[in-house]
Amino acid sequence: MNVSFSERTQTHKFRILLTSIWKYRMVYTLLAPGLIWYIVFVYGPMGGLSLAFKSYTASGGIWGSPWAGLVNFKYIFLDQAFMRSVVRTLEINLGRIVFQFPMAIVIALLLNEVLFLKMKKSLQTILTFPHFLSWVVLSSVLITVLSYDGFVNGIIRAFGFKSFNFLGNEPIFVPMLYITEIWKNSGWGAIIYLAAISGIDAEQYEAAAIDGVNRFQRIFHITLPSIMPTIIVMFILTMGGLMSTGFDQIFNLSNDAVREAAETLDMYIYKISFQSAPDFSYSTAVSLFRSVINMAFLLLADRIAKLAGKEGLMG
Amino acid sequence: MKSTNGLKRKTIGDYLIPAFLIIWGIIVLFPFFSVVVISFTSETEYIKTPLLLFPTEPTLESYKRIFEDGRIVSGYLTTFKLLAMSLPLSLFLTISFAYGMSRKDFPGRRFIFYFVLIAMIFDGGIIPLYMLMKDLHLVPNHLWAVVLANTVSTFYMILMHNFFKSLPDSLMESARIDGAGEWRILAKIVLPLSAPVIATITLFYTVDRWNEWFNPMIFLQKGYLQPLQLVLRSIVIDAQMDMVKSDMDTIELASNFAMGVKTAAIICTMLPVMLFFPFLQKHFVKGIMVGAVK
Repeated sequence: MNVSFSERTQTHKFRILLTSIWKYRMVYTLLAPGLIWYIVFVYGPMGGLSLAFKSYTASGGIWGSPWAGLVNFKYIFLDQAFMRSVVRTLEINLGRIVFQFPMAIVIALLLNEVLFLKMKKSLQTILTFPHFLSWVVLSSVLITVLSYDGFVNGIIRAFGFKSFNFLGNEPIFVPMLYITEIWKNSGWGAIIYLAAISGIDAEQYEAAAIDGVNRFQRIFHITLPSIMPTIIVMFILTMGGLMSTGFDQIFNLSNDAVREAAETLDMYIYKISFQSAPDFSYSTAVSLFRSVINMAFLLLADRIAKLAGKEGLMG
Repeated sequence: MKSTNGLKRKTIGDYLIPAFLIIWGIIVLFPFFSVVVISFTSETEYIKTPLLLFPTEPTLESYKRIFEDGRIVSGYLTTFKLLAMSLPLSLFLTISFAYGMSRKDFPGRRFIFYFVLIAMIFDGGIIPLYMLMKDLHLVPNHLWAVVLANTVSTFYMILMHNFFKSLPDSLMESARIDGAGEWRILAKIVLPLSAPVIATITLFYTVDRWNEWFNPMIFLQKGYLQPLQLVLRSIVIDAQMDMVKSDMDTIELASNFAMGVKTAAIICTMLPVMLFFPFLQKHFVKGIMVGAVK
């Protein structure tokens, strides 16, 4: 009796589901083309991550190659070049958090202090411009301006100093990465903070003005605390990329002279994937390893932000 | 001048901060200015005056050379082909998917939401993608490999979706009562209302395609198929690498003015962005704000 009752409700529920699916059939046809694209071109390659646990043979392809367990991951930790590239990547990214991350905030705070509205708009346009060019274009521009007979070295010589090799100089390659990234993206990064600033209640500023606070007090006691949630979200997202230095900038700016300084994890993966007899299984294992670590950092930063009583990324 | 911060008196900082930002703006723009100047300069003048601000006798010689070379022209052609192939497809997939997701209560909605979210966080990486394209016989040398690898941007799709969600339900509901199907509602009611958002997303896709170089580098081996960015790379960077490495004294300028040709190639590649950017910038800013501040 009981059984048949629950069976009956189950078939009943199933029938309701079917009718409601039928009712929304048009919605599914809207979603179908996009879903097909996601399944084939995003989830298809994601299935290819199984290569990390296989030993790739050209005849077998992704699906036919034999399983190899965790062998590829064992090799990862035996590879000196890999460990070096991880250390390099972390070094570069910690520097980015110290030098690069605050710049967008600083520019947003400064732009917000510009009282002439037209000037503020034009400055914003100028500072966001490089963001819309590729690193291929920007590195070409930099190579031109910083070359021996370029403008910057012209100035240096005019002051009586010797020409300086900016882009072929190993010790300053990493600082050059920070400077050029600030040049390209800090103006654009400022826009998110400016949006947050524009949401601050004007009454707070008016009240503060009546109390006679000065500019620095206003910035540090009203503006900065008000945009703290945005800063924290951006910080968490940055943490999620701790194992990725971004490929475009380093690939296009580096050259043989700075090869060792530029050997980050992204460059290492590119090298083992596309140069000299690639081992597909191994390089997929390295990519997967990186994704998992990035994910772990992201979740960790999110957790810490929540423990600190601030709102995290996922609410 | 009306103060936006509730301050009445002008302090020294009101002038110092703009001054500082203007200097920073000049530093940001100067490299581009320098590249433009060099592209219009003759070789003799370039060698004579290292601190060139304006060419005394502007010349189009470098641009003539770059067009005789032909690679820039074929690069433009490929990039435009890629745009023509991908924009309609990208917009179709993005808009239909975003509108479908904006319906509230169809079964499986949560599942599809997570399906897309995971796609945003993880990806298979370049090797499985390359092998997929190979299995589809799009590699090497089919532009479709480049188009299909990045057709939908999940981020832009979510922007679009947020906009559709903000439209009043009653509009669509009355059309539904009149017996219009979802595709019809999308075409006749939703699309005309979303012209600004569609324009913004089209711009985003266009700039992304214009700047794309990594997938083409992997997927297209034949030189005549290279889009603009790769042409620029082959003209500028590959040749320049040897100069950076070698010692200053050993550099001899090639018989045709290498610096002029390179800078002309840079200008040709960034020209559309340079020309349209000031007009487009406010769309970009609006778009990113919709995405960032929900």
